[in-house]
Amino acid sequence: MEMNLWPRADYSRVPFNIYHDASLYKREQEKIFRGPVWCLLGLEAEIPKPGDFRVTYVGDVPVVFNRDHEGRINAFVNRCAHRGAEIAREPYGNVKDFTCIYHNWCYSFAGELMGVPFVKGVKGKGGMPADFEIKQHGLQRLRIALFRGLVFGSFSDAPEPLESYLGEMIIENLTEVLGKPLRRLGYQKQRVFANWKLYMENVRDAYHASLLHEFNRTFGLSRLTQTSGAYMDARHRHAMLFQFKGSDADGEARKAYADDRVQRGDYMTLNDASLVQHVREHKSGISTRIISLFPSGVVHQIANCLGMRRIRTRGPGEVEIEFVQFGYADDDEQMTAHRVNQANMVGPAGLISMEDGEALELVQRATSPNAAGDGIVEMGGRGPLVNLDTRVNEIPVRGFWSYYSELMGIEPAGAER
Amino acid sequence: MSVPSAVKEAVERLVLDSAMFIDRDELDLWVDCFEADGRYVVLPRENRDLGLPVGIMHCETKARIQDRIVCLRHANKFNPHFDRHILSMCRIRAVEGQVAQAETNFMIVQTNKLGEARLFCAGVYEDRIRVEGERARFLERIAVVDSFAIPTMLATPV
Repeated sequence: MEMNLWPRADYSRVPFNIYHDASLYKREQEKIFRGPVWCLLGLEAEIPKPGDFRVTYVGDVPVVFNRDHEGRINAFVNRCAHRGAEIAREPYGNVKDFTCIYHNWCYSFAGELMGVPFVKGVKGKGGMPADFEIKQHGLQRLRIALFRGLVFGSFSDAPEPLESYLGEMIIENLTEVLGKPLRRLGYQKQRVFANWKLYMENVRDAYHASLLHEFNRTFGLSRLTQTSGAYMDARHRHAMLFQFKGSDADGEARKAYADDRVQRGDYMTLNDASLVQHVREHKSGISTRIISLFPSGVVHQIANCLGMRRIRTRGPGEVEIEFVQFGYADDDEQMTAHRVNQANMVGPAGLISMEDGEALELVQRATSPNAAGDGIVEMGGRGPLVNLDTRVNEIPVRGFWSYYSELMGIEPAGAER
Repeated sequence: MSVPSAVKEAVERLVLDSAMFIDRDELDLWVDCFEADGRYVVLPRENRDLGLPVGIMHCETKARIQDRIVCLRHANKFNPHFDRHILSMCRIRAVEGQVAQAETNFMIVQTNKLGEARLFCAGVYEDRIRVEGERARFLERIAVVDSFAIPTMLATPV
């Protein structure tokens, strides 16, 4: 592995090659996704009934998470122990057991091998050798940890406890957003032709939200003039970007964006302002927060639009983002309709997220032909990785690279952690 | 079921015109294909199958459909492209009073400004259309998208 990848020890320069190198991609699958992390697999609300399952991905590995008939949640790699065939062939469903169609090997919800047809042969002929032990041939399983309706999985034999992995600040904010039982409202899925790390940088990039997304600054959902900030956990692997709608005056904000030549024309108006209305429902009063969980998960609250996102890596040049929109189980009809309306803001057609798909592809395209050179990440300052009460700030992007490099074994000398 | 030919013609004209308006980037005319209380939803087939309400676009009224187009014109940045809707024949499933129910398969071929095309989207329009003489408007258009793993983004309406 090339150890001189990083021009600077504080990650304020990001080599463009990091979005393209196939050997790095391969190493990420091993050191990160199958490493000592907890990956956000999904919501308990996606598999509410015994027998329910859903296929998701940890990096590029397909994983089935399910609820067994005792109500326990399990996860295993969707690959038969026999010849490696896909077992669950539907993306979701409700089943009695998991049987591979190729040779009908049958598995429990926990991934134990339960049955092998004709294991003893027929009429004394054929069959498995006498020392073949069914118990030795289960599916590859993940460890599971649950937090407030979120399901996490880990390939590690000894991952740190989930609560300590997430850290106090993340726990506090997840607890507020996930304060009540959840109800799933629907899926939105997007394939972006860019490296997965560009997306995980994007959700930690506090600076872009009102510059790329004019909708945000027009309606004050996110403005750099607001009371806002970008916080990380103690190890700087996760991040939370947040703000308070209404904490700046429209006039002051609009002047700031005009003075810095961001807003060059008139602002638009809406027929129906309910799209951007924040009905306060959390004690902190935070109106938007994007909580990104290393390596590949997001939980968002944008006004009353609540959701989680999980990504699937599809090689160095493609990432799939699946948004799972949810509300609370006790929402009335009116609130559900409000959340469904505000789901217009996210997903592949999201009024404040569609641009991300384009921006990521712009970087991937422009850095591809000659990946020499580095991106600049200095907004908010160089050096130590610190929390700031401003969104004119890219420090959580450096935090991502810091933990990424530690796991990949590519930290520069004197690396910031 | 026999459908009066005037109704059939009005329905087919609306379905074809509305697709052409998008491809010709005449989105204000496309908005006018809807009644004031008309709803427009781009619905992933998966959500349809699971009975989940969230769409990729979800507008309960014409006013909100118009807001979508204003955002697209004014605020959103998206991949520069041309759309071509390829429609099947339109199947009229029922007519009750002034309201016709119709379904039409669609494919959208998207071409970038370098002239490179891709099959962007495939699905079916499930329409409820109010017909008054020659005038036809959508009361409801649900574009059920089979190809709901959307490449890059979905900016212009389907």
